[in-house]
Amino acid sequence: MTPELISSLKQFAPEGVIISGLVFLFIMDAILPSSRESRLPLFVVLFSCILGALVTIGVIPTEASSLFSGVIQSDGVTTFFRLLFFFSCAGGTLLAYETKVLDRDSLSEFSLLILCVTFGMCLMASATNVLMLYIGIETVSIISFVMAGLKRDDARSNEASLKYLIFGAVASAIMIYGFSLIYGVTGSLNYGDIAKALIEGGGEPKWAILLSMVMVYVGLAYKISAFPLHFWTPDVYEGAPTPVTAFFSIAPKAAGFGAAIRFFLCVLSTPGEAGVWTPMALGHGAWTQAIAVLSVLTMLVGNLSAIGQKNVKRILAYSSVAHVGYLLMGFVSANAFGVTAVLFYLVAYCLMNLGAFWVVGLVADRKKSEDLEAFKGVGWEDPFLGVTMAIFLFSLTGIPMFSGFVGKFLLFSNVVQTPGFLWLAVIGVLNSVVSLFYYANILKAMWLDKPDTVVEAPVSSVHRIALAVLAIPTMVLGLYFEPILKVTQSLVATFR
Amino acid sequence: MLSWMTFIPLLGAAVVLTLPRQQHNLIRLVSVVATAIPLVLGVVLFLRFDRTTAAMQFVERAPWIASFNIEYYFGVDGLSFPMVLLTVLLSFLCIFASWGIEKGVKGYFAMFLFLESGMMGVFCALDFFFFFIFWEAMLLPMYFLIGIWGGKDKVYAAIKFFLYTLFGSVLMLLVMIGMYYYSEPHTFDLLKLAELRPFAGKTLELFGTALPMDKLFWCGLFIGFAIKVPIWPFHTWLPWAHVEAPTAVSVILAGVLLKMGTYGILRMNYPILPEATQWASMGMVVLGVINILYGAFCAMAQKDLKKLVAYSSVSHMGYVIVGMASLNSTGVNGAVLQMFNHGTSTAMLFLLVGVVYDRVHHRWIIKPDGSQGFGGIAAVVPVYTGMMALAVFASLGLPGLSGFISEALVFLGAFSVPRFQTMVVVSSLGIVLGAAYLLWMFMRVFLGPLNEEHKDLEDMNWRERLMLVPLCILVIVLGVYPMPVLELMRVSVAQLVSYFG
Repeated sequence: MTPELISSLKQFAPEGVIISGLVFLFIMDAILPSSRESRLPLFVVLFSCILGALVTIGVIPTEASSLFSGVIQSDGVTTFFRLLFFFSCAGGTLLAYETKVLDRDSLSEFSLLILCVTFGMCLMASATNVLMLYIGIETVSIISFVMAGLKRDDARSNEASLKYLIFGAVASAIMIYGFSLIYGVTGSLNYGDIAKALIEGGGEPKWAILLSMVMVYVGLAYKISAFPLHFWTPDVYEGAPTPVTAFFSIAPKAAGFGAAIRFFLCVLSTPGEAGVWTPMALGHGAWTQAIAVLSVLTMLVGNLSAIGQKNVKRILAYSSVAHVGYLLMGFVSANAFGVTAVLFYLVAYCLMNLGAFWVVGLVADRKKSEDLEAFKGVGWEDPFLGVTMAIFLFSLTGIPMFSGFVGKFLLFSNVVQTPGFLWLAVIGVLNSVVSLFYYANILKAMWLDKPDTVVEAPVSSVHRIALAVLAIPTMVLGLYFEPILKVTQSLVATFR
Repeated sequence: MLSWMTFIPLLGAAVVLTLPRQQHNLIRLVSVVATAIPLVLGVVLFLRFDRTTAAMQFVERAPWIASFNIEYYFGVDGLSFPMVLLTVLLSFLCIFASWGIEKGVKGYFAMFLFLESGMMGVFCALDFFFFFIFWEAMLLPMYFLIGIWGGKDKVYAAIKFFLYTLFGSVLMLLVMIGMYYYSEPHTFDLLKLAELRPFAGKTLELFGTALPMDKLFWCGLFIGFAIKVPIWPFHTWLPWAHVEAPTAVSVILAGVLLKMGTYGILRMNYPILPEATQWASMGMVVLGVINILYGAFCAMAQKDLKKLVAYSSVSHMGYVIVGMASLNSTGVNGAVLQMFNHGTSTAMLFLLVGVVYDRVHHRWIIKPDGSQGFGGIAAVVPVYTGMMALAVFASLGLPGLSGFISEALVFLGAFSVPRFQTMVVVSSLGIVLGAAYLLWMFMRVFLGPLNEEHKDLEDMNWRERLMLVPLCILVIVLGVYPMPVLELMRVSVAQLVSYFG
């Protein structure tokens, strides 16, 4: 083995842990069939995630380094995403095991699949080579189709899976065609070389570059469910089992943003002094302007569609589209502050969205329905659920005291600082007013309406602890975000 | 000291939440204590307040979020201190007005105490970010207080209130971020910003047009605050929220929350953006006059007692706006005094409406079917009638009661500005209208032949008398001798108007 490979493998150790977990699950499934009925797979997943996180912290890179001849980059941003993925993988698995949405038999499959997705997401967020990126995206996508269809006898779940598959196949076909164009223009697959070739070519041939970038955007937009590739989101989120939806709404999206950060800043920008990039011209203006427009469209579509929905999972699905719109605002400045804002928002979003879906899962468990009607009076039946849901929803709205506000504050700060983009900030804040309307609708059902039937079903302490683990940081980060901001900043500082 | 005043109610809310659900009296007792301590501290500060300086007093500051230079920064001056006193007083009295709440007692009092903390924070915070947190945090308990414990259209009222206010505050959020990044050094410190005043003469590009930065900021802030005041045309949430809210919450809404809007304008727009304030003063006068007249006309048309009082608030806040817009010390003194006096007199009115509503469960002056809702009840409830008469006369500005002095100062101040004189003359019509709707209401409800439906109406009990007596005393004392409040603000106001040369 060459020294380069050895040092690469060392930086790749967290992913190694996840692969080991996967292999272990496979073997266990084969030689110990009775484990399918037990909680053993759950513990394997949790253990892999915790160990993976510890290893990640152990190998925090102090500077960016290219691994495996430049297909993957290991830097602070990689570290950040690994931790986020491990956390949401553990959260999603715990939710799956503790609610009655999935039957016992699918649970061991779920464990296997979610670990596999986690591995794919790590690849996505660290890829610096278009083929590597494609492999990461496909790993995540194909397994996601299976996960969405885990409830085999549920027609909605099947529909979700099929829609996801068709959309995904089209989007990735378009994306890889874009990659082939890029290769044709630049003769390279590595981000660094592509960027160099683009600069040397002076932006010519203009239309081929523009077309290829639009195609890549299609692939990424599908992954993060941004306009105009967001159509699958509500159907898939509604149809998929709630734990799967909870996981989908945070982790693959975050992975998409990881990939987008690298692609936009490493391929489409020229680095200036530390933490500042100059966005390349694409078509008529810099790509940042296109992103600003897409951000506005995404948040408008998400928020306006969410208003009329009757199903809470659909509301949250459209709301997640709107949040992608907010997150895209982080790119308009093309600097380290913007990246920090995106990463911080992802942390906040991960906590509050997972929490909101968690509550939805619990309510669906007791009422056998996810409609707004089913939420009536839940706050009075079980104040703990009501209060934590209120925290998550207010945080999603972006009301101060909660982490969602800090995330929005950072994103808007990013936009206000960037000359020429104030309009984006104005539309952005008005959108968060619109979002209050549907979030408050859920709260209204939970607290202001009378329950039709009172269901006495005490929530187990595992759920209480889990919800507290999500709700407390949501509040604490809202009031004191200095430490996590500093950590994120230092992680971003190693990114170039 | 200010921190204690702000956070003791929050502590009280936490204690309330740990108490068993059935212990109603214990919960109420804790709430009384948690609002009494800030009141006592408020009195102590009132005695220690230095009336000769415009500087911030009782300052408490500590770094909070170093990356953005955000500070934990409390302090009061002559503008905020009267509001602080009003807040602690009304909150304390409102606990007694909430005695009759039977549904979800624990949640109600916890929310109420949380609300008091929020209000205190708004008046004491001197860091924009810190201020903003309190400003918005207050919305949450308010939403639930109206939405859960309100009247029949509570859900609509609650969401309308929430959406309107959030709309205003997101604009404020943008201005806040803008002020931070366009000041050098970047700061959220309101006093520092007032000292630097770095925004005049710069431009900002919005939707392809370059706009003057200070005027843009001024308008963003003004809309945010105007919704709270509420200034026409942003007032439509108010009748809903005030009418549907439970009595105590209406009192807080009218007595304290509306003042946050005008306070915010005085604290931010005036000192930080004085040039833009001068530019906008004519517009403010016009809006103020519209408020006075529009509120009065609407009040006149109301058949519901509480709605009448709610619209009278719109009208009375118009005087505050006119006084502020005059930009001279007489007018601004009058405005701040009017903020305080309106707080006491309107609180009395809402409390009194609540008293009668608790007994007969309606508040129609004229019922929807056209018959008289009340009539002649002065004969059966003399104490109630006396208190109502006092509140009505204070509210319509009878000389010798508190409303008169502040309104007179407002008019004096505004009239001394030549270009406002026509507007002032027009707005003085509001006084006549105010007298008309209030006396009309008084006549229909209390005078004339006794409505047989209400011949068994009970007069006020000891609890209700106790919560109104302090306000009665204030209304009379400040009507005769307003100096205790005027002295608090005089130096600060003088410094504020000095920005306008």
